[in-house]
Amino acid sequence: MNQRTLYRTILVALPVLHFLLHVGFGLDRAAPDLLTVGILLLAREVRMGPAAAIGFGLGLLEDAFSIRAFGANALSCTILGIFGSRSRDLFVGETFVFLVSYLFLGTWVRGLLHWLIIGPELRPDGLVTLLVHGPVDAGYAALVGIGLLLATGAWRSEPSA
Amino acid sequence: MPPFDPDSMDSVRGRDWRLSLLFVAMAIVLLALPAGVQEGIGAGLRSTVLRPFIAVQEAVTNTRIRARELAELQDQLDAAVALLASQRTLADENARLRGLLELRERTGPGFVSASVIRSGTRGSQSMFLLDVGSRDGVAVNDPVVAAGGLLGLVREVGAGSAVAIDWTHPDFEVSAMTVDGEAFGMVSPRAGDFREEDRLLLAGIPYYTSLDEGVEVVTSGRGSIYPRGILVGIVADLARTDAGWGRAYWLRPAVRPAEVDHVLVITGERGTPAADLLEYWVELPDTLAADTVPGADAMPGVDTLPVADTVLPPDSVVADTAGGGR
Repeated sequence: MNQRTLYRTILVALPVLHFLLHVGFGLDRAAPDLLTVGILLLAREVRMGPAAAIGFGLGLLEDAFSIRAFGANALSCTILGIFGSRSRDLFVGETFVFLVSYLFLGTWVRGLLHWLIIGPELRPDGLVTLLVHGPVDAGYAALVGIGLLLATGAWRSEPSA
Repeated sequence: MPPFDPDSMDSVRGRDWRLSLLFVAMAIVLLALPAGVQEGIGAGLRSTVLRPFIAVQEAVTNTRIRARELAELQDQLDAAVALLASQRTLADENARLRGLLELRERTGPGFVSASVIRSGTRGSQSMFLLDVGSRDGVAVNDPVVAAGGLLGLVREVGAGSAVAIDWTHPDFEVSAMTVDGEAFGMVSPRAGDFREEDRLLLAGIPYYTSLDEGVEVVTSGRGSIYPRGILVGIVADLARTDAGWGRAYWLRPAVRPAEVDHVLVITGERGTPAADLLEYWVELPDTLAADTVPGADAMPGVDTLPVADTVLPPDSVVADTAGGGR
Protein backbone atom coordinates (compact mmCIF):
# COMPACT_ATOMS: atom_id res chain seq x y z
CA MET A 1 0.00 0.00 0.00
CA ASN A 2 1.57 3.29 -1.01
CA GLN A 3 1.63 6.23 1.35
CA ARG A 4 -1.15 8.14 -0.34
CA THR A 5 -3.54 5.17 -0.17
CA LEU A 6 -2.57 4.55 3.44
CA TYR A 7 -3.18 8.20 4.26
CA ARG A 8 -6.66 8.14 2.71
CA THR A 9 -7.49 4.84 4.41
CA ILE A 10 -6.62 6.39 7.77
CA LEU A 11 -8.77 9.39 6.99
CA VAL A 12 -11.75 7.17 6.20
CA ALA A 13 -11.09 5.14 9.36
CA LEU A 14 -11.15 8.23 11.59
CA PRO A 15 -14.96 8.72 11.54
CA VAL A 16 -15.45 4.98 12.08
CA LEU A 17 -13.12 5.15 15.08
CA HIS A 18 -14.99 8.23 16.31
CA PHE A 19 -18.34 6.44 16.37
CA LEU A 20 -16.78 3.32 17.86
CA LEU A 21 -15.30 5.31 20.76
CA HIS A 22 -18.24 7.64 21.34
CA VAL A 23 -21.22 5.43 20.54
CA GLY A 24 -19.74 1.93 20.89
CA PHE A 25 -17.85 2.53 24.12
CA GLY A 26 -19.86 5.56 25.28
CA LEU A 27 -16.72 7.55 26.13
CA ASP A 28 -18.29 10.97 25.64
CA ARG A 29 -15.65 13.73 26.01
CA ALA A 30 -13.02 11.27 27.18
CA ALA A 31 -12.60 10.33 23.52
CA PRO A 32 -11.36 12.96 21.04
CA ASP A 33 -13.54 14.39 18.27
CA LEU A 34 -12.05 12.29 15.48
CA LEU A 35 -15.05 12.97 13.26
CA THR A 36 -14.02 16.60 12.93
CA VAL A 37 -10.38 15.60 12.42
CA GLY A 38 -11.50 13.20 9.67
CA ILE A 39 -13.62 15.86 7.94
CA LEU A 40 -10.84 18.45 8.14
CA LEU A 41 -8.22 16.13 6.65
CA LEU A 42 -10.55 14.58 4.05
CA ALA A 43 -11.64 18.05 2.95
CA ARG A 44 -8.05 18.84 1.93
CA GLU A 45 -7.99 15.75 -0.28
CA VAL A 46 -11.03 16.57 -2.40
CA ARG A 47 -12.69 19.51 -4.15
CA MET A 48 -15.14 21.80 -2.41
CA GLY A 49 -18.37 20.10 -3.56
CA PRO A 50 -17.41 16.59 -2.42
CA ALA A 51 -15.97 18.06 0.80
CA ALA A 52 -19.37 19.62 1.54
CA ALA A 53 -21.04 16.28 0.81
CA ILE A 54 -18.68 14.44 3.18
CA GLY A 55 -19.31 16.99 5.91
CA PHE A 56 -23.06 16.80 5.42
CA GLY A 57 -23.13 13.00 5.50
CA LEU A 58 -20.93 12.61 8.59
CA GLY A 59 -22.67 15.45 10.42
CA LEU A 60 -26.04 13.85 9.69
CA LEU A 61 -24.82 10.61 11.26
CA GLU A 62 -23.95 12.48 14.43
CA ASP A 63 -27.33 14.21 14.34
CA ALA A 64 -28.99 10.80 14.59
CA PHE A 65 -28.18 10.98 18.32
CA SER A 66 -29.34 14.54 18.77
CA ILE A 67 -32.94 15.37 19.54
CA ARG A 68 -32.14 18.83 20.81
CA ALA A 69 -31.13 20.41 17.49
CA PHE A 70 -31.38 17.95 14.64
CA GLY A 71 -29.41 19.24 11.66
CA ALA A 72 -26.98 21.39 13.65
CA ASN A 73 -24.15 18.90 13.23
CA ALA A 74 -24.93 18.44 9.53
CA LEU A 75 -24.80 22.19 8.91
CA SER A 76 -21.66 22.82 10.97
CA CYS A 77 -19.81 19.89 9.35
CA THR A 78 -20.89 20.97 5.84
CA ILE A 79 -19.52 24.45 6.42
CA LEU A 80 -16.37 22.94 7.93
CA GLY A 81 -15.89 20.73 4.87
CA ILE A 82 -16.21 23.73 2.55
CA PHE A 83 -13.70 25.80 4.51
CA GLY A 84 -11.36 22.82 4.86
CA SER A 85 -11.32 22.35 1.11
CA ARG A 86 -10.87 26.06 0.46
CA SER A 87 -7.91 26.12 2.87
CA ARG A 88 -5.84 24.34 0.21
CA ASP A 89 -5.90 27.52 -1.85
CA LEU A 90 -4.50 29.49 1.06
CA PHE A 91 -2.06 27.06 2.70
CA VAL A 92 0.07 24.67 0.66
CA GLY A 93 2.07 21.97 2.38
CA GLU A 94 1.36 19.81 5.40
CA THR A 95 3.98 20.86 7.91
CA PHE A 96 3.62 19.71 11.50
CA VAL A 97 2.92 23.19 12.80
CA PHE A 98 0.36 23.88 10.08
CA LEU A 99 -1.52 20.61 10.65
CA VAL A 100 -1.67 21.03 14.43
CA SER A 101 -2.91 24.61 14.03
CA TYR A 102 -5.37 23.60 11.30
CA LEU A 103 -6.86 20.75 13.32
CA PHE A 104 -6.97 22.80 16.52
CA LEU A 105 -8.61 25.79 14.89
CA GLY A 106 -10.95 23.63 12.78
CA THR A 107 -12.21 21.65 15.78
CA TRP A 108 -12.70 24.79 17.81
CA VAL A 109 -14.56 26.51 14.94
CA ARG A 110 -16.78 23.46 14.56
CA GLY A 111 -17.73 23.78 18.23
CA LEU A 112 -18.40 27.47 17.73
CA LEU A 113 -20.60 26.82 14.67
CA HIS A 114 -22.59 24.15 16.50
CA TRP A 115 -23.02 26.47 19.49
CA LEU A 116 -24.30 29.23 17.24
CA ILE A 117 -26.62 27.02 15.22
CA ILE A 118 -28.45 25.24 18.07
CA GLY A 119 -30.18 28.45 19.10
CA PRO A 120 -30.40 30.43 22.33
CA GLU A 121 -32.85 28.07 24.09
CA LEU A 122 -30.51 25.09 23.97
CA ARG A 123 -27.22 26.98 23.99
CA PRO A 124 -25.03 26.23 27.01
CA ASP A 125 -22.98 28.94 28.66
CA GLY A 126 -20.73 30.44 25.97
CA LEU A 127 -17.80 31.23 28.22
CA VAL A 128 -17.42 27.65 29.40
CA THR A 129 -18.31 26.00 26.09
CA LEU A 130 -16.12 28.13 23.86
CA LEU A 131 -13.27 29.19 26.12
CA VAL A 132 -12.92 26.18 28.43
CA HIS A 133 -14.31 23.07 26.76
CA GLY A 134 -13.60 24.30 23.22
CA PRO A 135 -9.81 24.72 23.39
CA VAL A 136 -9.36 21.59 25.52
CA ASP A 137 -11.38 19.45 23.10
CA ALA A 138 -9.68 21.04 20.08
CA GLY A 139 -6.19 20.48 21.46
CA TYR A 140 -7.03 16.90 22.40
CA ALA A 141 -8.45 16.14 18.93
CA ALA A 142 -5.51 17.77 17.14
CA LEU A 143 -2.89 15.89 19.15
CA VAL A 144 -4.62 12.52 18.82
CA GLY A 145 -5.19 13.09 15.09
CA ILE A 146 -1.55 13.96 14.46
CA GLY A 147 -0.44 11.13 16.73
CA LEU A 148 -2.49 8.63 14.73
CA LEU A 149 -0.98 9.82 11.45
CA LEU A 150 2.53 9.55 12.87
CA ALA A 151 1.95 6.19 14.54
CA THR A 152 0.50 4.57 11.43
CA GLY A 153 3.19 5.98 9.14
CA ALA A 154 0.57 7.82 7.09
CA TRP A 155 2.21 11.19 7.75
CA ARG A 156 3.24 13.10 4.68
CA SER A 157 4.45 16.61 4.14
CA GLU A 158 3.17 17.20 0.59
CA PRO A 159 -0.48 17.89 -0.31
CA SER A 160 -2.25 15.70 -2.85
CA ALA A 161 -2.51 16.85 -6.47
CA MET B 1 0.00 16.97 -20.58
CA PRO B 2 -3.32 18.56 -21.70
CA PRO B 3 -3.23 22.32 -22.15
CA PHE B 4 -4.58 24.47 -19.29
CA ASP B 5 -8.16 25.46 -20.02
CA PRO B 6 -9.40 28.37 -17.89
CA ASP B 7 -13.03 27.91 -19.08
CA SER B 8 -13.03 24.28 -17.91
CA MET B 9 -11.59 25.28 -14.53
CA ASP B 10 -14.28 27.95 -14.14
CA SER B 11 -16.93 25.39 -14.95
CA VAL B 12 -15.61 22.93 -12.33
CA ARG B 13 -15.37 25.72 -9.77
CA GLY B 14 -18.94 26.83 -10.51
CA ARG B 15 -20.21 23.27 -10.16
CA ASP B 16 -18.40 22.94 -6.82
CA TRP B 17 -19.97 26.11 -5.50
CA ARG B 18 -23.45 25.00 -6.56
CA LEU B 19 -22.93 21.58 -4.97
CA SER B 20 -21.64 23.14 -1.75
CA LEU B 21 -24.56 25.54 -1.53
CA LEU B 22 -26.94 22.66 -2.20
CA PHE B 23 -25.62 20.75 0.83
CA VAL B 24 -25.71 23.86 3.00
CA ALA B 25 -29.33 24.36 1.95
CA MET B 26 -30.13 20.72 2.69
CA ALA B 27 -28.63 21.06 6.17
CA ILE B 28 -30.71 24.17 6.82
CA VAL B 29 -33.82 22.32 5.65
CA LEU B 30 -32.95 19.52 8.11
CA LEU B 31 -33.00 22.04 10.93
CA ALA B 32 -36.41 23.30 9.89
CA LEU B 33 -38.07 19.92 9.36
CA PRO B 34 -40.98 18.94 11.63
CA ALA B 35 -39.90 16.97 14.71
CA GLY B 36 -41.62 13.81 13.46
CA VAL B 37 -39.67 13.80 10.21
CA GLN B 38 -36.40 14.50 12.05
CA GLU B 39 -37.10 11.62 14.40
CA GLY B 40 -37.82 9.35 11.43
CA ILE B 41 -34.51 10.22 9.78
CA GLY B 42 -32.62 9.75 13.05
CA ALA B 43 -34.30 6.41 13.75
CA GLY B 44 -33.54 5.24 10.21
CA LEU B 45 -29.85 6.03 10.58
CA ARG B 46 -29.65 4.44 14.03
CA SER B 47 -31.23 1.23 12.81
CA THR B 48 -29.00 0.93 9.72
CA VAL B 49 -25.60 2.64 9.39
CA LEU B 50 -25.12 3.22 13.11
CA ARG B 51 -26.61 -0.08 14.28
CA PRO B 52 -23.21 -1.84 14.63
CA PHE B 53 -21.93 0.89 16.97
CA ILE B 54 -25.07 0.73 19.10
CA ALA B 55 -24.77 -3.06 19.23
CA VAL B 56 -21.21 -2.68 20.52
CA GLN B 57 -22.37 -0.44 23.34
CA GLU B 58 -25.23 -2.79 24.20
CA ALA B 59 -22.74 -5.62 24.49
CA VAL B 60 -20.27 -3.54 26.50
CA THR B 61 -22.97 -2.25 28.87
CA ASN B 62 -24.49 -5.68 29.41
CA THR B 63 -21.10 -7.22 30.09
CA ARG B 64 -20.26 -4.49 32.58
CA ILE B 65 -23.58 -4.85 34.38
CA ARG B 66 -23.35 -8.62 34.50
CA ALA B 67 -19.82 -8.57 35.82
CA ARG B 68 -20.69 -6.10 38.54
CA GLU B 69 -23.97 -7.53 39.66
CA LEU B 70 -23.49 -11.26 39.41
CA ALA B 71 -22.70 -11.83 43.07
CA GLU B 72 -25.27 -9.26 44.14
CA LEU B 73 -27.95 -10.90 42.02
CA GLN B 74 -27.20 -14.29 43.48
CA ASP B 75 -27.76 -12.91 46.99
CA GLN B 76 -30.96 -11.20 45.90
CA LEU B 77 -32.21 -14.37 44.25
CA ASP B 78 -31.64 -16.38 47.41
CA ALA B 79 -33.45 -13.75 49.47
CA ALA B 80 -36.32 -13.56 46.97
CA VAL B 81 -36.81 -17.33 46.94
CA ALA B 82 -36.94 -17.37 50.74
CA LEU B 83 -39.41 -14.46 50.80
CA LEU B 84 -41.60 -16.04 48.12
CA ALA B 85 -41.77 -19.30 50.00
CA SER B 86 -42.78 -17.56 53.22
CA GLN B 87 -45.42 -15.35 51.59
CA ARG B 88 -47.12 -17.85 49.33
CA THR B 89 -49.84 -18.48 51.91
CA LEU B 90 -50.50 -14.73 52.22
CA ALA B 91 -50.84 -14.34 48.45
CA ASP B 92 -53.24 -17.28 48.21
CA GLU B 93 -55.30 -15.87 51.04
CA ASN B 94 -55.32 -12.44 49.41
CA ALA B 95 -56.54 -13.87 46.10
CA ARG B 96 -59.28 -15.85 47.88
CA LEU B 97 -60.46 -12.75 49.77
CA ARG B 98 -60.52 -10.70 46.56
CA GLY B 99 -62.71 -13.34 45.03
CA LEU B 100 -65.06 -13.29 48.00
CA LEU B 101 -65.33 -9.49 47.91
CA GLU B 102 -65.62 -9.46 44.08
CA LEU B 103 -62.73 -7.01 43.79
CA ARG B 104 -60.66 -6.78 40.67
CA GLU B 105 -57.01 -7.73 40.60
CA ARG B 106 -54.65 -4.96 41.58
CA THR B 107 -53.50 -3.12 38.49
CA GLY B 108 -50.08 -2.05 39.57
CA PRO B 109 -47.41 -0.55 37.37
CA GLY B 110 -45.61 -2.62 34.80
CA PHE B 111 -41.86 -2.25 34.89
CA VAL B 112 -39.64 -3.08 31.97
CA SER B 113 -35.94 -3.22 32.72
CA ALA B 114 -33.56 -1.69 30.17
CA SER B 115 -29.94 -0.85 29.61
CA VAL B 116 -28.99 2.77 29.02
CA ILE B 117 -26.93 3.55 25.93
CA ARG B 118 -25.36 6.98 25.63
CA SER B 119 -23.90 8.11 22.32
CA GLY B 120 -21.45 10.66 23.69
CA THR B 121 -21.58 12.63 20.46
CA ARG B 122 -21.94 16.40 20.13
CA GLY B 123 -25.51 17.53 20.75
CA SER B 124 -26.58 14.24 22.31
CA GLN B 125 -26.51 15.57 25.87
CA SER B 126 -29.69 14.96 27.84
CA MET B 127 -30.76 12.00 25.71
CA PHE B 128 -30.06 8.30 25.81
CA LEU B 129 -31.09 5.13 24.06
CA LEU B 130 -32.85 2.16 25.66
CA ASP B 131 -32.57 -1.41 24.45
CA VAL B 132 -36.33 -1.98 24.78
CA GLY B 133 -39.13 -0.82 22.51
CA SER B 134 -42.76 -1.28 21.53
CA ARG B 135 -42.22 -5.08 21.43
CA ASP B 136 -41.65 -4.90 25.19
CA GLY B 137 -44.69 -2.71 25.81
CA VAL B 138 -42.80 0.59 25.95
CA ALA B 139 -44.65 3.63 24.61
CA VAL B 140 -43.94 7.32 24.08
CA ASN B 141 -44.08 9.32 27.36
CA ASP B 142 -43.45 6.31 29.59
CA PRO B 143 -41.49 7.45 32.67
CA VAL B 144 -37.95 6.13 33.12
CA VAL B 145 -36.77 5.52 36.67
CA ALA B 146 -33.59 4.32 38.31
CA ALA B 147 -32.95 2.95 41.76
CA GLY B 148 -32.59 6.50 43.10
CA GLY B 149 -35.78 7.93 41.56
CA LEU B 150 -36.99 9.68 38.42
CA LEU B 151 -34.56 9.86 35.50
CA GLY B 152 -36.67 11.05 32.55
CA LEU B 153 -39.18 9.88 29.99
CA VAL B 154 -39.37 8.09 26.65
CA ARG B 155 -39.53 10.36 23.60
CA GLU B 156 -39.39 8.01 20.61
CA VAL B 157 -40.12 4.31 20.37
CA GLY B 158 -39.01 1.77 17.81
CA ALA B 159 -39.73 -1.94 17.75
CA GLY B 160 -36.73 -2.94 19.81
CA SER B 161 -35.26 0.34 21.00
CA ALA B 162 -36.34 3.72 22.33
CA VAL B 163 -34.97 7.22 22.72
CA ALA B 164 -35.45 8.94 26.06
CA ILE B 165 -34.56 12.28 27.61
CA ASP B 166 -33.28 12.73 31.14
CA TRP B 167 -34.24 15.51 33.56
CA THR B 168 -31.50 17.84 32.26
CA HIS B 169 -33.36 18.27 28.95
CA PRO B 170 -35.00 21.71 28.56
CA ASP B 171 -38.34 20.05 27.71
CA PHE B 172 -38.43 18.13 30.98
CA GLU B 173 -41.07 19.29 33.47
CA VAL B 174 -42.97 17.40 36.15
CA SER B 175 -45.65 18.24 38.68
CA ALA B 176 -44.30 17.42 42.12
CA MET B 177 -45.18 17.57 45.78
CA THR B 178 -43.57 17.09 49.14
CA VAL B 179 -43.98 13.62 50.60
CA ASP B 180 -46.52 14.85 53.16
CA GLY B 181 -48.60 16.41 50.38
CA GLU B 182 -48.43 19.89 51.95
CA ALA B 183 -46.87 21.68 48.99
CA PHE B 184 -47.25 21.24 45.26
CA GLY B 185 -45.16 22.80 42.49
CA MET B 186 -43.55 22.30 39.11
CA VAL B 187 -40.03 20.91 38.78
CA SER B 188 -37.89 21.82 35.79
CA PRO B 189 -34.14 21.72 35.05
CA ARG B 190 -31.71 24.61 35.23
CA ALA B 191 -28.41 24.23 33.39
CA GLY B 192 -25.20 24.93 35.27
CA ASP B 193 -21.95 26.19 33.79
CA PHE B 194 -20.78 22.59 33.68
CA ARG B 195 -22.95 19.52 33.16
CA GLU B 196 -22.23 18.37 36.70
CA GLU B 197 -23.82 21.57 37.98
CA ASP B 198 -27.23 20.99 36.36
CA ARG B 199 -29.93 21.26 39.00
CA LEU B 200 -33.67 21.01 39.41
CA LEU B 201 -35.86 23.92 40.43
CA LEU B 202 -39.12 23.41 42.32
CA ALA B 203 -41.24 26.47 41.56
CA GLY B 204 -44.77 27.55 42.42
CA ILE B 205 -44.61 26.81 46.14
CA PRO B 206 -46.96 29.14 48.06
CA TYR B 207 -45.15 32.03 49.73
CA TYR B 208 -46.25 31.09 53.25
CA THR B 209 -45.17 27.45 52.84
CA SER B 210 -41.58 27.06 53.88
CA LEU B 211 -39.70 23.87 53.02
CA ASP B 212 -36.83 22.63 55.13
CA GLU B 213 -33.61 21.36 53.65
CA GLY B 214 -33.71 17.60 53.16
CA VAL B 215 -37.45 17.32 52.44
CA GLU B 216 -38.10 14.69 49.78
CA VAL B 217 -40.02 15.79 46.69
CA VAL B 218 -41.95 13.23 44.65
CA THR B 219 -44.11 13.26 41.54
CA SER B 220 -47.67 14.35 42.36
CA GLY B 221 -49.46 12.23 39.77
CA ARG B 222 -51.08 15.30 38.22
CA GLY B 223 -51.00 15.36 34.46
CA SER B 224 -50.97 12.37 32.19
CA ILE B 225 -47.41 11.12 32.30
CA TYR B 226 -45.87 10.48 35.70
CA PRO B 227 -47.58 8.33 38.33
CA ARG B 228 -47.63 9.63 41.88
CA GLY B 229 -44.79 8.92 44.25
CA ILE B 230 -41.56 8.75 42.22
CA LEU B 231 -38.72 10.48 44.04
CA VAL B 232 -37.59 13.54 42.05
CA GLY B 233 -35.13 15.16 44.41
CA ILE B 234 -34.41 16.54 47.84
CA VAL B 235 -34.82 20.20 48.83
CA ALA B 236 -31.38 21.85 48.99
CA ASP B 237 -32.04 25.54 49.58
CA LEU B 238 -34.25 28.49 48.71
CA ALA B 239 -33.71 29.72 45.16
CA ARG B 240 -35.92 32.81 45.14
CA THR B 241 -39.11 34.38 46.39
CA ASP B 242 -41.52 35.82 43.85
CA ALA B 243 -42.85 39.19 45.01
CA GLY B 244 -44.58 37.87 48.09
CA TRP B 245 -46.72 35.21 46.42
CA GLY B 246 -44.46 32.25 45.77
CA ARG B 247 -41.19 30.56 46.44
CA ALA B 248 -38.83 28.40 44.43
CA TYR B 249 -36.38 25.87 45.84
CA TRP B 250 -33.30 24.19 44.44
CA LEU B 251 -33.49 20.40 44.54
CA ARG B 252 -30.66 17.91 44.74
CA PRO B 253 -31.67 15.48 41.98
CA ALA B 254 -32.48 11.96 43.09
CA VAL B 255 -30.60 10.55 40.10
CA ARG B 256 -27.42 11.70 38.38
CA PRO B 257 -27.95 10.78 34.69
CA ALA B 258 -24.27 10.13 33.98
CA GLU B 259 -24.10 7.47 36.67
CA VAL B 260 -27.02 5.39 35.43
CA ASP B 261 -26.54 2.37 33.19
CA HIS B 262 -29.60 0.33 34.09
CA VAL B 263 -33.18 1.65 34.39
CA LEU B 264 -36.81 0.64 34.61
CA VAL B 265 -39.46 1.94 32.22
CA ILE B 266 -42.87 2.27 33.84
CA THR B 267 -45.31 1.01 31.25
CA GLY B 268 -48.51 0.78 33.28
CA GLU B 269 -50.54 -2.40 33.00
CA ARG B 270 -53.41 -3.23 30.71
CA GLY B 271 -53.84 0.41 29.81
CA THR B 272 -54.53 1.58 33.33
CA PRO B 273 -52.54 4.24 35.14
CA ALA B 274 -49.72 3.13 37.36
CA ALA B 275 -50.78 3.39 40.97
CA ASP B 276 -49.09 5.27 43.79
CA LEU B 277 -45.41 4.39 43.81
CA LEU B 278 -44.50 6.24 46.97
CA GLU B 279 -43.48 3.15 48.88
CA TYR B 280 -40.91 2.18 46.26
CA TRP B 281 -38.72 5.22 46.92
CA VAL B 282 -39.69 6.89 50.14
CA GLU B 283 -39.80 5.52 53.67
CA LEU B 284 -43.21 6.65 54.81
CA PRO B 285 -43.86 7.94 58.31
CA ASP B 286 -46.02 5.51 60.29
CA THR B 287 -49.02 7.82 60.15
CA LEU B 288 -48.95 8.03 56.35
CA ALA B 289 -48.41 4.30 55.97
CA ALA B 290 -51.38 3.61 58.20
CA ASP B 291 -53.51 6.08 56.20
CA THR B 292 -52.56 4.46 52.93
CA VAL B 293 -53.18 0.95 54.09
CA PRO B 294 -55.88 0.84 56.74
CA GLY B 295 -55.19 -1.79 59.29
CA ALA B 296 -51.60 -2.26 58.27
CA ASP B 297 -50.31 -1.37 61.71
CA ALA B 298 -52.59 -3.93 63.26
CA MET B 299 -51.01 -6.81 61.39
CA PRO B 300 -48.35 -8.49 63.43
CA GLY B 301 -44.92 -8.66 61.86
CA VAL B 302 -45.81 -6.43 58.89
CA ASP B 303 -44.47 -2.85 58.96
CA THR B 304 -45.53 -1.81 55.50
CA LEU B 305 -47.64 -3.94 53.24
CA PRO B 306 -46.25 -4.72 49.80
CA VAL B 307 -48.12 -2.82 47.11
CA ALA B 308 -49.29 -5.98 45.38
CA ASP B 309 -51.07 -7.14 48.48
CA THR B 310 -53.05 -4.03 49.31
CA VAL B 311 -56.80 -4.07 48.85
CA LEU B 312 -57.88 -1.57 46.22
CA PRO B 313 -61.22 0.20 45.86
CA PRO B 314 -63.76 -1.29 43.45
CA ASP B 315 -63.55 -0.70 39.70
CA SER B 316 -65.79 2.35 39.70
CA VAL B 317 -63.43 4.27 41.98
CA VAL B 318 -60.40 3.14 40.02
CA ALA B 319 -62.07 4.34 36.84
CA ASP B 320 -62.72 7.76 38.38
CA THR B 321 -59.13 8.23 39.41
CA ALA B 322 -57.93 7.02 36.03
CA GLY B 323 -59.11 10.30 34.54
CA GLY B 324 -56.04 12.04 35.85
CA GLY B 325 -53.71 9.28 34.81
CA ARG B 326 -52.44 7.75 31.65
